[in-house]
Amino acid sequence: MDDVLIVITLLLVAASATAAVAVRDPVRQALVLSLLGLTLAALFTVLQAPDVALSQLAVGTALTPLLLTLAVRKVHRRPHTRDDGRGGETTGSTESAGAIESAAAKERGE
Amino acid sequence: MNGWLAAAAALLACGVGPTLWGVATGPVRRRVVAQNTATLLVCLATLLLAQGYDRSSYVDVALVLAVLGPAGTLVYARLLAEDLKAAPPTGRAGTWAAVALTPLVVVPLCVAAGPGRAALKLLAIGALLVAGNMVAARALRGAGRTDCEGAGPAEAARG
Amino acid sequence: MSRRLRMWVLALGLAGLAALLGAACFELPDFGGDQHPYGDRAVRAALSHHTANVVSSVNFDLRALDTLGEESILFGAVLGTVVLLRQTRDERHVEPAPARVSPPVRRYALYALPVTLVVGLYVVAHGQLSPGGGFQGGVVAATALHLLYIAVDYRALRRIRPVGRYEVADAAGEAAFVVLGAAAMLGGSAFLANSLLPYGEFNTLASGGTVPLLNAAIGMEVASAVVVLLARFLDQAVEIEESPKPPSTPTSRE
Repeated sequence: MDDVLIVITLLLVAASATAAVAVRDPVRQALVLSLLGLTLAALFTVLQAPDVALSQLAVGTALTPLLLTLAVRKVHRRPHTRDDGRGGETTGSTESAGAIESAAAKERGE
Repeated sequence: MNGWLAAAAALLACGVGPTLWGVATGPVRRRVVAQNTATLLVCLATLLLAQGYDRSSYVDVALVLAVLGPAGTLVYARLLAEDLKAAPPTGRAGTWAAVALTPLVVVPLCVAAGPGRAALKLLAIGALLVAGNMVAARALRGAGRTDCEGAGPAEAARG
Repeated sequence: MSRRLRMWVLALGLAGLAALLGAACFELPDFGGDQHPYGDRAVRAALSHHTANVVSSVNFDLRALDTLGEESILFGAVLGTVVLLRQTRDERHVEPAPARVSPPVRRYALYALPVTLVVGLYVVAHGQLSPGGGFQGGVVAATALHLLYIAVDYRALRRIRPVGRYEVADAAGEAAFVVLGAAAMLGGSAFLANSLLPYGEFNTLASGGTVPLLNAAIGMEVASAVVVLLARFLDQAVEIEESPKPPSTPTSRE
C-alpha cells in the first residue's frame, strides 16, 4: 500500500525532471528546478531518508535559485554595458551621478 | 496505509501535480505563483507523512521548508522584478485556496499529537507557512507596483 | 601511448567495470526487503556510541573520513569560485542603488531572519538526535543572512557580512575537523575515531561523543562557505561591471 506513495512521488520527480530539461530559458528552468527539488524532497521522505530530504531542501529551495538567477542576470547584462559605453569616467568617484544612475539601472535588472 | 498517508498521497497527486503543470508552462507570472503554491503543498504533505509514519522527527523537514520556501519565492520576486513588473500575477484564487488548506491539515495533526510541545511546533510551522506564503505571494504581485508606491523604503531598511 | 592504445585501455576498463557492476546488481537484495546487513551493523554501532540519529553516526563517526573529503570538496569549490570571480583589471566597481521593496515584505524578512537563523542552528545542534546536521543547518543559517539581500537591500546585507571574516571561519571549520581527527590520534586511537569524549546519555544534546563537535565544525564551514560563495556571485551580479575601456587604476573594493 505504501507503494502508492512511492509511485506518485517517483512520477512527480520524473515529470518535473523532464520538464526541467524541456524548458529552455534558464530563468524558467530555475523555477522548474525548484519544483524538482520539492518533489525530490517528498520522494526522500517517502523512502524514509529525511536527512537527504533536508539536504535537498536546504540547497534546492533558496540557494540554487539565487545562484542561478544571479548568474543569468550577470550574463544578460553584459551586452548592455558594452553597447551604451556609459560612465567611463566614474571609476574614481563612485558617488557621481553617472555611477548611481547606472547602478540604479543595474538594480532594476536592465 | 493509514489515513494520514492517504491524505498526503492525495495532496501530492492532486495538488503538486497541477502546480507542476503551472510551473512548466505559461508565462513567468503564472510559473512563480505555481512555484509558491507548490512549496506550501509539499510542506503540508511532509507534515502528513511525518504523522503517517509516526516519526515526529520528520517534522523538521517541514519546518525547514516552511522557513526556506518563502525565501525561495522572494528570490524570484526580487530578481525577476523586471518580468513581473511588465505582467504582474493577477489570480489570487490558487494562493488563497492553498493558504486555506493549511489549517485544515495542521489542526487535525495538532489534535492527533495532543497538547504539548509537538502541537506547538506544528502550530508554529503552520503560522510560518501561512505568513510566509502570503507575504511571498504579495511580493510577487507587488513586485511591479513598488515603483509607484515607493516612499523611500530604502531609508527605513537601514534602521 | 598512441590514441588507439589508449582507447583499448579505456574499453578494457569500461568492460571490466560493466562486468563487475552487472555481477553486483544480481547479488543485490530485493527492493524493500527485510535483509539489511550493513544497516543492522550501522544501527548497532550507532547505539553503542549513544548516537540516536544513525545517519549522523555514519557520517561523523563510522565514516568521518568520507565527510572530511566531502567538506574539502566544498572548501576547494569555494576557493575556486573566489579566484575565478575576483574583480579583474578591466572591470570596475559600482555602488549598488537602494532597492525598493514593499514594506510588508521587508518587515517579514526582518522577522523571518532570526527565525531562520535559529532553525539553522537548531538543525546543526540536533544533528546527532534528529534528521539534519552541520551541512543542512549551515546552509539554512547562511540563507537566513541573504534574506537581507532578497527582501531588504544589498547594502544592509553588506553591513553584516564582512567577507574576510567568513573566509577565516570557513578555513577554521575545515581545520577544526582535521584537528579533532588528529586529537583522536594523540589520544591513542585512529584518525577521527570517536574515542575522545564520553558518549553521554542516549537521546540528549550532549550524546554521541565527538559527533556534535564535528557537526558544529561542518556547520561553521558550510555556512561560511555559502556566504563567501554567494558574496562572490552577488559582487559579480550587483557591484562589478565591465568597463567600456580599461581604467588606469582599478578601484579597490575594501
